[in-house]
Amino acid sequence: MDALYARYPFLEAAREAVAEEAVDLATVVETEPAVVERAASRVEWALETGEVGDPAPDNRVELLSYPVARVLVSLVGERVLVRRYARAEAAVAHERFVADLADTTELKSVDSSGLDLDGLLAEFDLTESVREAPSLAGDATSPAGGSATQSPASATARSSDESTYLLEVGAYLPLAADCWGDEWRLVNRALADGEVPVTETELLTLLQEAVGSRVAEGLPFPDVPDPIADALEAEAADLRELVAELELVREIDTVVPELFPPCMKALLDDIQKGEHLPHHSRFAITAFLSSIGMTTDEIVELYRVNSAFGEQMTRYQTDHIRGETSPTEYSPPSCATMQSYGDCVNMDDLCERIPHPMAYYEQRLDDAEDEDGEIEDWRETLEGEAAE
Amino acid sequence: MEERTRAYLRGRFRDYYRRAEITPPPAPESREWGYIPWTTGPDTRMIRHRSVLDIGDIETFLERERPRHVYYSAGLYEDPGANSMDEKGWQRSDLVFDLDADHLPGVTLGEDSYAEMLATCKDALRRLLDFLEDDFGFENMEIVFSGGRGYHVHVRDERIRHLEREHRREIVDYVRGIGLEFDHLIETETVAGMGRETPTERRILRTSGGWGERLHDRFVSFLDDLLAMDEEAALERLQSFDGIGEGKATAALNAATNNRAAIEAGNVTVHTAIAQLAQRFAERTVEAENAPIDEPVTTDTNRLIRLPGSLHGGSSLAVRRIDRADLTDFDPLVDAVPETFTGHEIRVTVDRGGPVELGGDTFTVTEGEQSVPEHVAMFLMARGRAEKEKETGA
Repeated sequence: MDALYARYPFLEAAREAVAEEAVDLATVVETEPAVVERAASRVEWALETGEVGDPAPDNRVELLSYPVARVLVSLVGERVLVRRYARAEAAVAHERFVADLADTTELKSVDSSGLDLDGLLAEFDLTESVREAPSLAGDATSPAGGSATQSPASATARSSDESTYLLEVGAYLPLAADCWGDEWRLVNRALADGEVPVTETELLTLLQEAVGSRVAEGLPFPDVPDPIADALEAEAADLRELVAELELVREIDTVVPELFPPCMKALLDDIQKGEHLPHHSRFAITAFLSSIGMTTDEIVELYRVNSAFGEQMTRYQTDHIRGETSPTEYSPPSCATMQSYGDCVNMDDLCERIPHPMAYYEQRLDDAEDEDGEIEDWRETLEGEAAE
Repeated sequence: MEERTRAYLRGRFRDYYRRAEITPPPAPESREWGYIPWTTGPDTRMIRHRSVLDIGDIETFLERERPRHVYYSAGLYEDPGANSMDEKGWQRSDLVFDLDADHLPGVTLGEDSYAEMLATCKDALRRLLDFLEDDFGFENMEIVFSGGRGYHVHVRDERIRHLEREHRREIVDYVRGIGLEFDHLIETETVAGMGRETPTERRILRTSGGWGERLHDRFVSFLDDLLAMDEEAALERLQSFDGIGEGKATAALNAATNNRAAIEAGNVTVHTAIAQLAQRFAERTVEAENAPIDEPVTTDTNRLIRLPGSLHGGSSLAVRRIDRADLTDFDPLVDAVPETFTGHEIRVTVDRGGPVELGGDTFTVTEGEQSVPEHVAMFLMARGRAEKEKETGA
């Protein structure tokens, strides 16, 4: 069983196994350097390559390194790290269960380190929400009569022998929410009677998302006990440095329109007045808002002050910006670009010292925090309204 | 609105609530309640963040307070009476759809009558129910006439009540057909070598459900119409599509004639002309079949919604639950008129006259003092079009 848990440390049973062994994490990090070392390498690999590196030869070390890695991520405390780390663990889990599934079907391996599809579905409470689609022969009953003449063609199997599964829409939506690409959107799915057909490959991608959410759940931990934090301080410091080196955009997740750079203020003002903006200008403001942590819904809400702002266009553009490029690597136009498009207006003192609208906003936020001013996030002013 | 009018409406709302049997929504104790009282002045505010603990038994509350409007939350909370959403502790929400005649494409405000607007709205409701029943397979739905300009559908299917805002947005986009991409409705199959042919790819429209099926049904019946026409008419019809000229029209007609069965089986890519034509149909299908619901209502998991059985203070009509089987026959302007308000006349001064369709009759109300059936008077007064006269002066 240890092998299975070492391979899939996010499993509920793996967590219980760690707990049952009465393993005290504080003792582990103080006395087992191999675990700490492997934990640090999980996170480093996640940052640098999007994977988690080679497993430790010892299953116990490998298993314990996972909870320690999550503590390390928490100590660094950057949301971008949480996301990268969860994504890497999920990608590796996906690679492994794809291999395991191929293995059980072809080699009938009895190796207990493998995980089967039923087990995976059960792990994420999906057993009742997924079923295999009836065979194609059953499907073909719908087109009336005429298709009989097509028998040679319609009898042809699909491109592969891949099974199709039917996933309840209530389970599909949360899993597909973070999948990129319009093919995942519900509107483009053959939804029927509450079920979304997905290929096996797609189902496994959705399970990868489920793993990612599981890994990220609760991270960063709000209070890591001091003895653990102290013991891991050196590793955490190294990781912090690595994050800085990789120049991951500092994650801003605060929306205070009064502190926006003058260029963005002006663009937002135009939109709220209902003025028609050229594409590059819309793109700039939307990208900016997206980069400071606003969701598509929130951006639409902010633009909504004027009813002629073009909700659908905003949605398309925002989704496009998110979908095409990873949010961590994406950044809105620099000051130079803004200038060349004529979008740089009302420059102030700070503008002369920064190269990028994001840098301006970061600086203003820092200043506001230093001045001990209460910063009110615009989003906190939103709450449920009454319908007609 | 004058004080006398307000007092009259308020009094008659109490009479209604004394007689009415109000069935609260399931789990009323987990919901937030809100209402707008009959106060004077422009700053009439909603009183909200109330729990059943605060207001007590719903029927007793309504009779005592006889509010102008009353609402409950789609959301269920640990502590529904808390003052902020964070403190309330959200658990799950009904999925609510709102169709409002004010926002429907087929409605011309200021031109369509109230009855016409509501009829357009009911058509949209039927299209919405198609999606909810067939595509989503929802169970436990409640259809409600809002008492104003539209309909609400409350879905309490446990399989979707956990969905958050962003997930509900996908449901909104689905029923509105937003983001539909023809290319993603297509599935590529590899056809193993048939006869002399080498393995080749075949692109098939997914017809087992979703918008693909809708598009396909429309497309096939369009082709049937086309093939039933004489050639000249068919070609002309085809050329009415953007970007389809004479050459493409001829090619499409030939392809349709020769590949009728394949197209019916979903193979809309038998010929590029057919593929182009089918692609044009995506837009048409969305236009004809989407349900133009009010998006923020559905995505807001904390939304307050009118209580079925209560009175709408802007019309004096009842907010009515409608049995699915009775929907076809349901006439809001007859069935939502509270019985309490029928059968006698009262005196009012009408400020804004005009036609009023209510209770199965059409009245043309002139301006000035007069006696009208009470339900008409209640409607006009609630809408701000008339004021109450002293009965003694009659």
